[in-house]
Amino acid sequence: MFCPQCGASNADNAVVCVQCGRSLQPAAPAVPQPGYPAAVPQVYVPNYLVFAILVTVLCCLPAGIPAIVYAAQVNGKLQAGDVAGAQAASKNAKMWCWIALGAGIAVFAIYGLLMTVGILSNMHGGR
Amino acid sequence: MTAIDGFRNNWLPAAMMAAAVAALAALCLLDPGQSGLFPPCPLRYLTGWYCPGCGSLRAMHQLLHGNLAAAWALNPMMVLLLPFMMYGTASYALFEIRGNHLPRLFLPAFWIRSVGVAIILFGVARNLPFHPFDLLAPGGMLQP
Repeated sequence: MFCPQCGASNADNAVVCVQCGRSLQPAAPAVPQPGYPAAVPQVYVPNYLVFAILVTVLCCLPAGIPAIVYAAQVNGKLQAGDVAGAQAASKNAKMWCWIALGAGIAVFAIYGLLMTVGILSNMHGGR
Repeated sequence: MTAIDGFRNNWLPAAMMAAAVAALAALCLLDPGQSGLFPPCPLRYLTGWYCPGCGSLRAMHQLLHGNLAAAWALNPMMVLLLPFMMYGTASYALFEIRGNHLPRLFLPAFWIRSVGVAIILFGVARNLPFHPFDLLAPGGMLQP
């Protein structure tokens, strides 16, 4: 389960959140009221939007776009009161962010390697 | 173990923040347009096309030196998105250090999708070689 206060992932039978210490025992389980979807949902599910925009713009557009789409799904499902769906979308958003970051780092690492090889071979040739 | 050691028993945010501070310092001292230290955009390098993020490092360098107009000309989308990104990052950093968040912004899903679409459209538009879209290419607004 995810902590409703800080969003940290906890074991399903956890009593308190491992990160912020909030009680995870449902005092009054949130019942989605049909016909009255909360404008701003009470539960916090991270959507990783800042991370997603950063990796889209700076690292890897093809893997960043799914991250933004899942970030939108997180908030869309929260608006509809579907917390479980929002948490699933949140996991996907996080996964695509890391894929995009990894792809970006890999491309720059390959570029750096090629540059180093190029510089070294130039030095060798210039001697 | 809460805020005693500054960070909430998690090394990753501390490492990320240290990396971000180092990157900002490097960006402030060196102009990515002049220095060979910063890698070029892979898309631009391989295809010659601009990506939506092209110019954003140079734009941030200009912003760190207070030149809003130059930053806007290099990548207007980055300048527009930056306040939101800074708020989100500050909120996250504050949570990792102090354990409490800034008031959360809740963007409706429609607006998040619009941001995604805007990024793609901006990426396409700035590659169109005719007026007025040539203004969107990095530095396009600085051309005579």
